[in-house]
Amino acid sequence: MKEETRMDQSTMNKKGQKLDPMEALKFWTPFRKNTTRRYDILPFHEDYQQLIKNTEVLAYMIRSYSVWEMTCGALGHPGGSFSEAEFISVLYNYLLRFDPGDPKWPMRDVFYLSKCHACPAQYTVLALFGYFPLQKLKYYGAWDSGLESHPDWLVTPGIEISGGSLGQIPGVAVGRAMAIRRNGPDHNDRIVYALLGDGECNEGTVWEAFMAAGHYKLDNLIFVIDYNKVQAKGFVNLDMSIEPLADKLKAFNLDVFETQNGHDVSELIDLFTKIVVQRRGKPTAVILNTIKGKKVREAQLNPNWHTSAPRSIDAAGMWLEELWDQDGRRLGIPKEFPEALTRAIEIVPPYHDNPDKIEDRQA
Amino acid sequence: MAQFILPDRNKTKEMRYQMGYTLADLASGNDRIVALDADLRSSTGLHIFQYYHPDKLITCGIAEQNMISMAAGLSQEGYIPFPCTFDAFCRRYMDQLYVTVAYSNLNLKILGAYVGLFTGKAGATHQSDKELGLLLRIPNMTIIEPGCNLEMQQALRCGMETEGLFYFRIVRCEVEHNELFDGYEFKLGKGVTAYDEGADIGMVCTGYMIKTAKIAAEKLKKKGIRVRVDHHPTLKPFDRELLFDLASKVPAIITLENHCTSGGLYSLAAEALAEKGVGVPVRAIGSDPEDFIHTGHVNDLLFRYKMTSENVVERAEEVLRETHARG
Repeated sequence: MKEETRMDQSTMNKKGQKLDPMEALKFWTPFRKNTTRRYDILPFHEDYQQLIKNTEVLAYMIRSYSVWEMTCGALGHPGGSFSEAEFISVLYNYLLRFDPGDPKWPMRDVFYLSKCHACPAQYTVLALFGYFPLQKLKYYGAWDSGLESHPDWLVTPGIEISGGSLGQIPGVAVGRAMAIRRNGPDHNDRIVYALLGDGECNEGTVWEAFMAAGHYKLDNLIFVIDYNKVQAKGFVNLDMSIEPLADKLKAFNLDVFETQNGHDVSELIDLFTKIVVQRRGKPTAVILNTIKGKKVREAQLNPNWHTSAPRSIDAAGMWLEELWDQDGRRLGIPKEFPEALTRAIEIVPPYHDNPDKIEDRQA
Repeated sequence: MAQFILPDRNKTKEMRYQMGYTLADLASGNDRIVALDADLRSSTGLHIFQYYHPDKLITCGIAEQNMISMAAGLSQEGYIPFPCTFDAFCRRYMDQLYVTVAYSNLNLKILGAYVGLFTGKAGATHQSDKELGLLLRIPNMTIIEPGCNLEMQQALRCGMETEGLFYFRIVRCEVEHNELFDGYEFKLGKGVTAYDEGADIGMVCTGYMIKTAKIAAEKLKKKGIRVRVDHHPTLKPFDRELLFDLASKVPAIITLENHCTSGGLYSLAAEALAEKGVGVPVRAIGSDPEDFIHTGHVNDLLFRYKMTSENVVERAEEVLRETHARG
């Protein structure tokens, strides 16, 4: 792909200075200078407020770039990407130990996105941390772009396994955590995280994985359930309820935590600081109380926005403005940023032409 | 730990038990090997592995799908997992195999035990005679169906040493130690001519059916029909060159497989010959794709699906008669 020529979308702000929306690092840089280390930051630490603000900016960036990415790709799952945005931010900004320069670094923590469809948020965070250029996000779902609709670990650095069929990766996480434990204690105390959807918990294999994790007492394994209340075509409690979820998880011998608000960065930081420094001889499950499509009113708790990217640049621009209104403004991001990002939207055409005039509408 | 009876290694000819011993041997020389069991170990032969390597057998409970997922995770840390359950249950974990393992191109060695008709009267639910239809169409996967214990041992070692996804179809019944010739060595992706008396008719077989093919060839020889038998332990990738060589020399071919006559070896041969434009008639010996395999003694099953050497002889004579009538 000729990314450089196609990405000539830098725009001018009011003062006539260039604002290139791809230069996100003007507004945000990773909180940790060294992402191969974890620094436990407790509320009385002087950096605590800075960590929270930095992570909130990251969540704002994840949502904004995901809108841009999905609109350019005419593809995506905004609902699940937005509900997990704060967790993904805390994970990459604070918890996970990784090296973007060496994605297969053997001492890394492992993060599996089991709800693979919600990968726009993960692709964005990977780009922001430097696994690949931000410009590449524009080609999400484009032919041969390396950003598949559901992640393929063979083509995208930073992805831990290929997936897309729900309910399979929790078992992979069990095997991975077991393997890390078999490697012996002197192995950087690596932790395996798996982020599951609430609808995904309808799959029986999820419970097979919970059963195995509990049986083998894998306390280096953390299941996180993005309980955003909505599945692909309806509401979880109406289509197939998973309640009482916490009781079920406890009954499977998991150590269960529930968040009051899965979008509250400080709550997530406090909770996961506690979880990763303590080992209680059991795998952990965290139920994130989240809202599907969080921060875009149209998409919030709305199954219609499980699978659908904004269908026009104007529609995407409204989403970007809404995000800025709620988060960008208070976090000190200039109004030019969402405007420039909107102007940078270009719906990527197919790579090949269509001699037989096949019509296939956007999802 | 439950105590299971270990069969005498020097006496037992059952491939499942020899597989257990072979895997135990391999694990003695390679500390990355682990085996995963879905509550069938004394049936599949993994109990032998467990006896020698109790710390390397991971029990997964009766959860075949999760077993494959767990094996995937183990392989990602450099372990060489050998998940093992009845081949029939690959119907349960087909999606795990397709998405998590094959699409991710992981280093797994799957052991499908109780393959085909011979399940000790376990019946339709435990028999696997349709599965190659899908397994052969999964990218990144090598499929091996050994015909004798020597070949099974060599194939397992080859699988351990070769990076990538392997699927082994392991039969339950007794087989010879060596159905080929002295000094035979399994070569990945290659078929082998197991019996060559001439070119009146060709046989293409895989797995256990090499035995049937050889018996039938001997019977045909007595009737003055000279047979060449090609054995294809590797089904994927399939050795088309050997097939084309055979097809260039014989007027008709019979395929023999411990599987139904659609989607497996017969389909592989027919597709290859059609593409090449080779016009020899090809007849299939195997079970019925339109039938569930019912409970029965091996004798009764082979009789029902016309898979004995007598049936092969009949089939051979029939196709030769038709060929001559046309020619």
